[in-house]
Amino acid sequence: MSTSPENRDRAFLAWLKDRYPITQFAEWAEHKTVPVGRNAFWYYFGGITLFLFLIQVGTGIMLMFYYKGSADTAFESVRFISAKVPFGWLVRSVHAWSANLMILSVFIHMFSVFFMRAYRKPRELTWLSGIVLLALLLGFGFSGYLLPWNELAFFATKVGTDIIGVIPVIGEPIMYVLRGGEEVTGSTLPRFFALHVALFPALLTIFIAAHLFFIQLQGIHEPEVWQEQPEKRKTMPFFPHFFAREMLLWLITLNILAVLAVFFPAELGVKADPFSPAPAGIKPEWYFLATFEFLKYMPAHVGPIEGEQFGLLLISIGFLVWVLVPWIDRGRHPTITKIVMAAGVLILVFLSIMTYLGWAA
Amino acid sequence: MKRIGTAAFIVMLWGLSASARANPLPGGQCLTCHAAEDAELAELWTTDIHAHAGLGCESCHGGDPTGETKEAAKGRGTGYKGAHSPMDITMVCGGCHADVDYMKERKPLLPTDQLDKYWTSEHGKLLKKGETKVAQCASCHGAHGILEVNDAKAPVYAANVPATCGHCHADAEYMAEFAIPTDQYEEYVGSVHGRALLEKKDVRGAPACNDCHGNHGAAPPTIDAITNICGTCHSYNAELFLDSPLAPAFEARSLADCVACHGKHEITHATDDWLEDEPGGACRKCHETGDEGSELALYYADTLSSIRMSFDEIDELLSEAEERGIDVTEGEDYKEAARQGLMQARTLIHAFSKPVMEEKVSEIAANQAAALEVGYAAINAFEERRRGLAISTLLLLLLTIAVAIKIRTLPPLD
Repeated sequence: MSTSPENRDRAFLAWLKDRYPITQFAEWAEHKTVPVGRNAFWYYFGGITLFLFLIQVGTGIMLMFYYKGSADTAFESVRFISAKVPFGWLVRSVHAWSANLMILSVFIHMFSVFFMRAYRKPRELTWLSGIVLLALLLGFGFSGYLLPWNELAFFATKVGTDIIGVIPVIGEPIMYVLRGGEEVTGSTLPRFFALHVALFPALLTIFIAAHLFFIQLQGIHEPEVWQEQPEKRKTMPFFPHFFAREMLLWLITLNILAVLAVFFPAELGVKADPFSPAPAGIKPEWYFLATFEFLKYMPAHVGPIEGEQFGLLLISIGFLVWVLVPWIDRGRHPTITKIVMAAGVLILVFLSIMTYLGWAA
Repeated sequence: MKRIGTAAFIVMLWGLSASARANPLPGGQCLTCHAAEDAELAELWTTDIHAHAGLGCESCHGGDPTGETKEAAKGRGTGYKGAHSPMDITMVCGGCHADVDYMKERKPLLPTDQLDKYWTSEHGKLLKKGETKVAQCASCHGAHGILEVNDAKAPVYAANVPATCGHCHADAEYMAEFAIPTDQYEEYVGSVHGRALLEKKDVRGAPACNDCHGNHGAAPPTIDAITNICGTCHSYNAELFLDSPLAPAFEARSLADCVACHGKHEITHATDDWLEDEPGGACRKCHETGDEGSELALYYADTLSSIRMSFDEIDELLSEAEERGIDVTEGEDYKEAARQGLMQARTLIHAFSKPVMEEKVSEIAANQAAALEVGYAAINAFEERRRGLAISTLLLLLLTIAVAIKIRTLPPLD
């Protein structure tokens, strides 16, 4: 018998088939389809988010080879990565940019799911797991921002954890645990590092698995109009048609990342000094700007409640309603659907305006 | 109006009695009568350091503070001394403050040589001659509202000393008979020391009048003392100067060392322009173009100018690299070391020695060269990054095209 590569592959496949249900998996993959239509472009953003997450894992592991997560060494180790480690600047810049693009991508993914009403039965749990993933990614962003231990990150973390402390009853204990004391100090950094590289990745992996599992079980949401006009139904095979297109976008995303990393590498700034006064213009990362700006517009007091507490209450109610959208709009009452969709547009406009105002301030 | 005044007085008395109840101040019957006549005195007394130490009016003025009538308080046999003459003030204050045993028990860390020093001061000497317009203890410390020296409201607090001295010394009319200038305060306010003390409130670092002239022993410094006085703070400059060839030359010509170039009360920030071989230059005060001193000054001027120009090049290069996102911290460190070197070089001018300066200049040049090297390496690194990006973009483009071709070759959709 010849030992050509083709024969070796066949032999390996036979070996696998003999032990695992490969045939069923191959059949399932062969029959997996994705809807085709004018909204099809938005389907790719889930995959792009996943791709960026994989980049985050890879670059994050590489950064951990050199990063030292304590207040005395963090800044210097990041400077060493940027200045001395071969391609360290590239890895760090890609990690920073990929984080930003991932959050942008996940927002696009969430709003596209919302406007396509893909959250409706039977995909409520997919929606919920997606919300948890969004929260975890924001947590990744918040915890990762402090790790270089520079001045901007230090004071932005102080402001961010101050906002958490405003939450009645549970706010202060959470703030205390996050900070490792009453103030943001050197004790805060190892906590954020632990969250960033241990707890959040573990939780994210679990929820990504759940999210993908739900999607595989139920298939991708199809346009509602197809239920009334089945003749318009058009799909493409996931393998290889959709997968190849997704690859195309992944390659383009990778190139965008490379361009951003070369022309706008991640900055380091000045080392954090807990005893120095806060510099002017402290701002959080762009994805927290809307909340930050909204709270700035709050009056000192609203009735018996402090202004910031009232603002957080409004945001919390809004977030809760957003989480419960699958149960509010079940597709039974067109009026409710219209209200929910209009609310979605308003939220999108509100977030965009607040983010712009926060950025321009 | 009278009623308002009476009401205010009653309120003030009530306030005084309330504070007395909380922490009774000495003064007894003296205070009861004099506070009613002199509200300012009563107010000052509440803050007075001696009052809080339990010393009553009788400690300085004599008399019987328990006497309820004027006769009983100030009459014969009570030891009443009344208001003091300037000479009396020095003796009354000195009576306690120059008494080592007395002060040891009450304020052991306070010096007791103020009176001795005072008699060596110009003020003390003139007072002994009968001149009563000169400053004595109360002129600077106040009389009934004396505060600790480190109390920011005290007239002898570092930041208030220039105004306290200037109160007399800047008053041309008051000082007319003494035939000394009265522009010292005005000059000092605009000087590098005055701005540091009065504008930046550097009460620990910047000198006030007393830091150079002495306080209780205040007197104009002699020429021989100048270097030691300035050298109290500028010790390295003084050390370099005293070892330099200029020190004996200055002595021979009776020139006041530091003052000859830097001035006195009007001392401004020394700049490299002082070294220029032009009329008005510090060195041109004594040297003429072409002589040895002038040549050295020219060398200093050219060298420092060249170092400054190199800094411009370094700043430009490092900024350019930083704008492109390249980490140039190492270059900034070299630049900072060179800047420190430049500061040291400016100090080394006081050695008036070319070899000493040359050694420092070579150290600065080495740091500047290293900073430039980091800057050029950073610019090259950016070019390399761009080339790397071009190559990776090309590869990714090829891959993208390959995938696009693959997509086109896939079976058409239903």
